[in-house]
Amino acid sequence: MRAGRALPGAAGCGRLLAAGLRPLLGERGPCWAAARRAAGWWPSPELRVPQAAEAERLVPQTGGRCGRFIVCPQLARTVQRCLQAGSGPQHVVLECAPGPGVLTRTLLNAGVRVVALESHPAFLSKLQSLENSLDGQLKVIYGDFFRLDPLVTGAVKPPAVCSDKLFEAMGIAPVPWRADIPVKIFGIFPQQKERSKLWRLLFILYECSSIYRYGRVELNIFISEKEYKVLTAKPGEMRTYQALSVLWQVGCDIQLLHMEPWSSFLTNFKNGRLAIPRSTLLPNDHLCLVRLTPQENLFTGGLKPANSATFIFMVKQCLTKPRSKLIDRLNSWSLGNAGKLLKALEIPKYVETGNVYPEDYKRLFCALQNSSVFAESWFHDEVLESIRNINL
Amino acid sequence: MALLRAALLGPARLRGGGIPWSVLRFYSSASAKEKARRNAVCERTELLEVLKARVKQLQTTNIPEVTINKVELAPLQGEGHQGLLQKTVSAGTAVEHLVPRQSSSWTEKLKKEMYIRQMKVEKKLSIAASRTLEGQAKVKRKIKVKAKVRAKVKTKTKSKKSQKSPKATAATSRNQSHAAPSSASKPRVEKMKQDLKAQKPQCVPEDRNSNHHKTMQQTIQCNLECFLYLQQPEEAQKLLLLYHSNPMRRKLLSVDAYNVVMRGWARKGCLHRVIHVLSMLESVGFQPNLDSYTVLLECMTQSQSSTKAIWRCVQQLKKEGFHVDDLFQKCLFEGNEKEMVLKAIRIIQPDYQLPPPPKPEICKSALLKNFYSKKKVVSYPKLNFTVQELRERFQQQLEMELSSTITIESVESTKPLTPQAIKARQQLAAFRSQWRDAILQALQESKDKMSQAKMMSRHSLIYPYLCVLPDEEYVDIMMQVLNTLSPQGESLAVLARELGSKVYNRYLVQRKLQSCQLKKVQEIYESYIHLLAKDSQPSEYLPREYWEKLVAEAGYGPSLNLKDCSWPYVILMRLGMYLLEIMVHAVKVPRNTLKPHLQPKLIPVLYHIYSFRSSWQVGLIKPHPIFSQIVSDAAETMLTFNSSAIPMLCPPVPWTSPRFGAFVLNETKLMRFVDGAIQHQQLLDQCPQVNLHPVLDALNQLGSCAWKINQPVLDIIISIFNDKGNEKLDIPPPVSEAPKPPVVPSSSSALHKSLKHELLLCKKKAAEMHSLRMDALYKLSIANYVRDKVFWFPHNMDFRGRTYPCPPYFNHLGNDVTRAILLFAEGRPLGPKGLDWLKIHLINLTGLKKKNALQERLDYANEIMEEILDSADHPLTGRKWWMNTDEPWQVLACCMEIAKASRSPDPAAFISHFPVHQDGSCNGLQHYAALGRDLIGAISVNLMPCNVPQDVYSVVAQQVEEFRKKDAEEGLKIAQVLEGFIGRKVVKQTVMTVVYGVTRYGGRLQMEKRLKEIEFPEEYIWEASHYLVRQVFNGIKEMFSATRDIQNWLTESAKLIAQSGRTVEWVTPLGLPIVQPYYRIRSTVLTCGLQSLSVKSSSNSNQRPDTVKQKNAFPPNFIHSLDSTHMMLTALHCLRQGLTFVSVHDCYWTHALTVDIMNQICRQQFVALHSQEILEDLSKFMLKNYCSPGKESRTFWQQKLMEQLSDVPKTGKFNLNKVIDSTYFFS
Repeated sequence: MRAGRALPGAAGCGRLLAAGLRPLLGERGPCWAAARRAAGWWPSPELRVPQAAEAERLVPQTGGRCGRFIVCPQLARTVQRCLQAGSGPQHVVLECAPGPGVLTRTLLNAGVRVVALESHPAFLSKLQSLENSLDGQLKVIYGDFFRLDPLVTGAVKPPAVCSDKLFEAMGIAPVPWRADIPVKIFGIFPQQKERSKLWRLLFILYECSSIYRYGRVELNIFISEKEYKVLTAKPGEMRTYQALSVLWQVGCDIQLLHMEPWSSFLTNFKNGRLAIPRSTLLPNDHLCLVRLTPQENLFTGGLKPANSATFIFMVKQCLTKPRSKLIDRLNSWSLGNAGKLLKALEIPKYVETGNVYPEDYKRLFCALQNSSVFAESWFHDEVLESIRNINL
Repeated sequence: MALLRAALLGPARLRGGGIPWSVLRFYSSASAKEKARRNAVCERTELLEVLKARVKQLQTTNIPEVTINKVELAPLQGEGHQGLLQKTVSAGTAVEHLVPRQSSSWTEKLKKEMYIRQMKVEKKLSIAASRTLEGQAKVKRKIKVKAKVRAKVKTKTKSKKSQKSPKATAATSRNQSHAAPSSASKPRVEKMKQDLKAQKPQCVPEDRNSNHHKTMQQTIQCNLECFLYLQQPEEAQKLLLLYHSNPMRRKLLSVDAYNVVMRGWARKGCLHRVIHVLSMLESVGFQPNLDSYTVLLECMTQSQSSTKAIWRCVQQLKKEGFHVDDLFQKCLFEGNEKEMVLKAIRIIQPDYQLPPPPKPEICKSALLKNFYSKKKVVSYPKLNFTVQELRERFQQQLEMELSSTITIESVESTKPLTPQAIKARQQLAAFRSQWRDAILQALQESKDKMSQAKMMSRHSLIYPYLCVLPDEEYVDIMMQVLNTLSPQGESLAVLARELGSKVYNRYLVQRKLQSCQLKKVQEIYESYIHLLAKDSQPSEYLPREYWEKLVAEAGYGPSLNLKDCSWPYVILMRLGMYLLEIMVHAVKVPRNTLKPHLQPKLIPVLYHIYSFRSSWQVGLIKPHPIFSQIVSDAAETMLTFNSSAIPMLCPPVPWTSPRFGAFVLNETKLMRFVDGAIQHQQLLDQCPQVNLHPVLDALNQLGSCAWKINQPVLDIIISIFNDKGNEKLDIPPPVSEAPKPPVVPSSSSALHKSLKHELLLCKKKAAEMHSLRMDALYKLSIANYVRDKVFWFPHNMDFRGRTYPCPPYFNHLGNDVTRAILLFAEGRPLGPKGLDWLKIHLINLTGLKKKNALQERLDYANEIMEEILDSADHPLTGRKWWMNTDEPWQVLACCMEIAKASRSPDPAAFISHFPVHQDGSCNGLQHYAALGRDLIGAISVNLMPCNVPQDVYSVVAQQVEEFRKKDAEEGLKIAQVLEGFIGRKVVKQTVMTVVYGVTRYGGRLQMEKRLKEIEFPEEYIWEASHYLVRQVFNGIKEMFSATRDIQNWLTESAKLIAQSGRTVEWVTPLGLPIVQPYYRIRSTVLTCGLQSLSVKSSSNSNQRPDTVKQKNAFPPNFIHSLDSTHMMLTALHCLRQGLTFVSVHDCYWTHALTVDIMNQICRQQFVALHSQEILEDLSKFMLKNYCSPGKESRTFWQQKLMEQLSDVPKTGKFNLNKVIDSTYFFS
């Protein structure tokens, strides 16, 4: 049997009453309910949330994309609370790969409007029948969030989806960057290529393309603990502080909402194992629910979607060797008077690149941008090349 | 006293070296321990205690030896202890009384002390001399002792005349305190020695074999050789001691390491140093080998040692089981070493004669019985040159190689110069001289810093390698690399390797000069010319045999080979990285060079960035655009090449051993292999040299073909090249013709995705065009440089025996363009059938009549004679028939030849230099079909005589089509969709590569490509390619049933062998040993200044094999080893028939006159080859190699492996002799 069920993280689930039989959030007063409706909440459809064992049977063990699913009602409720705890208008949650739909039902019961993006045919049909039984609170779309806006040229073939189509289907229009968040997205990161998915998201964030064309979309995602540690690493932590850390910290407000042991999730990997990514340096016992809210003031001081690739390139070059001196890096690019520049920015002259704060990287970039050093053609060329290597 | 001496000299007398080196046995291990406690005062006092105790022990003495030992300590003890020492001096005891009473370990200890004292005396004299009166007295005594020691050693008399004060050379690096505490640590030494002995059997072997160990060993050896070359024996000894004195590090030393240091001293004539090193060697339990004795003897001659000493040395040599003759037969001598050793031997044996050179062995391979038997001797074909002419050519070649590089005019130089170019050239010249100065200065500064750094630090490891050439040469090398850096940049690893190996190559040339090796080669070559020149006597030798004969006659023996002195890969890389770092830091250019409005600030020309490729990053060095711009503006027309990139201007030096042949000076490997792989060389060195003779002779035969340039064709090509190129004719256009990138508005807001994509495509295209253009430029420029000359391509081979010409850019293995400009230098009349062969060859090149019989091809050629003549006469202005063919340039060249021949009064007498090709049809499958005696298979690859050529691809396509029809009838969707799409083109690549082990995966990708080309509906491509590749595999299985069995047998055997931890090895029917060099990669990280570099560690025989690669590569490699064998057999037999023969793997070239003879030989040799029991022999060889019967414990897998290897696949019913009559076997 799968190890996922036997471990203590999910052990309590079975004992819970089926959520459908319980009055949801009953303890709250009527005043709150009115506010809810005003904010566009839906009345709870009082759906029955399948129990863990039941949900597990819904997950086919073969075929389709391998992934991780929430089957434990308790975990689903935790996630649902986390999702609702944020600020701003909260009428739509885009749930990616809901699978057996435990969280979907929990969210629906909480009165949230859910758009489910599912690519597995087995789940899709179940979700569609659920969709039909409701009055528009759930919308099911065939597609795979992690194959959004594929970079290959030519027609987009499902389950790959186009962000334009997706957002149109959700009924969400683009809003200015500084406006409130237009939509919340929930998903569990696929463990294969987790790192490259994070890079990909970073690129579209800095380019303001794909989902970020619609404003500061809020991502609520489960990522492995080790990647979370990387995202939130501080300068000076030489092993973990990487280009990814700097760029995410500059780009987003990173908030840890919840940590859950790996075993609480159901997987459908063929060998039946948990498939926990190996990690030696960093702890990796949990999946972390992280909220990534793009910074409102990301594009200030000279950083623009147009030149952001140069920024990414610069940070990557600096942090390939975190023990190198920042000034050496700058000089090795023939960028001119690096010492003076650092002095003006009040960055210590002989600081190692692994000790520079994310904000300082941004300030450094803006200063370089304003002194038009990057206009010298070689840097431009390199940036293009680096985009090709990462982004295509 | 006398007893002591006797005890000391007892063993030493027999040793014969004069000084008893055995006394040192435990000295050095002691000093290792002592070093650690060097400055510890407390230990020193402890030591004094011990000494005091010792003195008491010795009781009384009048022996100066002991007292002197104490005196030696004086400078270390300080004033306070003087009194004590005085006491010890006065209270001397007679040691000689002790000696008989003490156990033998006592004598050992005393001997050791003796030696230490001797060392010390030398060293301390100068210090001691300036002491007080009291001190002076001591000195006197010291001198006395010293003299005694010497006297005892040399003449065993206490003659007073040797009392001259010893030289205070004190050159050794030994610290003062080294020797002092020796007695204290004696017990420990003893214990250590025991420990060592106890450990040796268990831990040392595995230690010795580890990869790291080997690399380290090689590095040390190499560093020592460097010091030897630099004539710095002091440094060498310092390094040796560093390892010698530490029991752990000492494991890295071998006898050779000591020999190198000894040789260094020997060259300076310091006999006592040599003997000292020899005693060090013995002290750690090594036995001196032959080389050690040669060094010793050489040094003895040089320092005019007594006859007695030499006699003792020779006695010792014989006692060790060597023979005097061995010295001259097995050792590699450099310079005048051999003469010196001979002199030494003749001192004691005045009538000693050099051993006669070993009788040349004759290869006994059954395949070459006729070839080597002297019955049917045909004299070696003469070249059309006189001795004098060849001598001049050799001189030219030698001069070129001596200068390492050659600068030639590029073919672009005919273009007119623009004023802009003139300005840019001036600018560039000015910059270059600045850069040169800057680099030189930076190099010297850095070297100074390094020379002061401590031994063993990372940098000083490469310090000796920075001294082997004059500083200016390093600068030259760096400037060369800078000049050829592409605007796209280059990865650090590649550049570092290039820099490192350039230094190495120059060093090698210097070494050959220094060791007089070049002089000897020159001398032999001058005589060797007589074999080839037309005005000398014919002789019945092969080039290799003749060369060997000349070497033997000159009495050089093996001395033409240098001792192996290749630098480890890691050292090459480190050296390269170091030079690269200097370049990056030193080369600068003003920022305002192109834009005068900017500040005039110096910025680096080279910048270092990272490029990210999926999960890892690659460091790149790129030139600043300013640099690239000036270089491109200057449009320089001189190209600099390594001298080995130019074809040879004289006949190549014949291969006579795996380490000698090809170029005169440039090092060439007989077998090409990946960096760091050493198995091949080991295997070649180990195998009996006579087994290699056929391969060496075949390579010599291929290299002996003289070439010249087809000038009219070259001129046409150059004219197109200098115009705008022509992609259709495979003449790459200049980068200026590249598609222009879309104009990006300067204030670009977000670049559109498509725009970005387009920009990238343009950049990529430009980069591709640049490299294609440069490649063509190099080829054409070299061709142009040798346009009026006759030249040769020396050959070597890859690890499977496939042969390649050594010059990399321009050679007959190149593309259509390069092949079209090559002609045989030797001309032969066309003969009765020659013109027809030319015509058939022409049609073959066009690719038009592949399925037709030869006669039909000939008829077709006659039919279109008008087109052919038009093409020949007006290549660029006429109807251009030649342009629309498969190989247009060769077609054009052939048209011209046919035109000339057909217009000559007597075509049969027309002298033609044109090579005519004969191609094997799907050669890999031919070998498989012959191995398995597959009847259907044999027919389809033309092993059976047929009226028209069979086309295996069409046959497979038909077979697949049949499968498809059946499936379509059964309602398989994809089979229905594929209707009308299956043809020869679709299956060709897969069928061709099946032989070479293409997998389903790779096959599917090939299919996908083909299907896309023929516009197959896109939505079905994946499924269709999947289906097709399966059917192609099935089809081949059906037709070549035995082939598949053989392939599976080979694969399965290789898998089991690799799984048992061994690499797959075999021997070709010609006797060439082959090993598959696929190992699990372990990379070493080199930490260098700019960045760390991950280097594939040099693989050795103890690495674990990569099972997947070993398994997948075995069938294709085995087949390649067979096709190369077939080629070599054909080459050798063509040589006996006096044919000109060259090959491009499975495509054989000869004159039109001799095509028929070549075809006959080719078929005969194919039959002869496959008449051998190839698979049975392979099975036997592998059984012997991998399942040695001696092993008691036969595990399960061993059993399995044995069964697998013994189970040779069954063969079919094809009659091999049919090949003889098959017209289209090679056509």
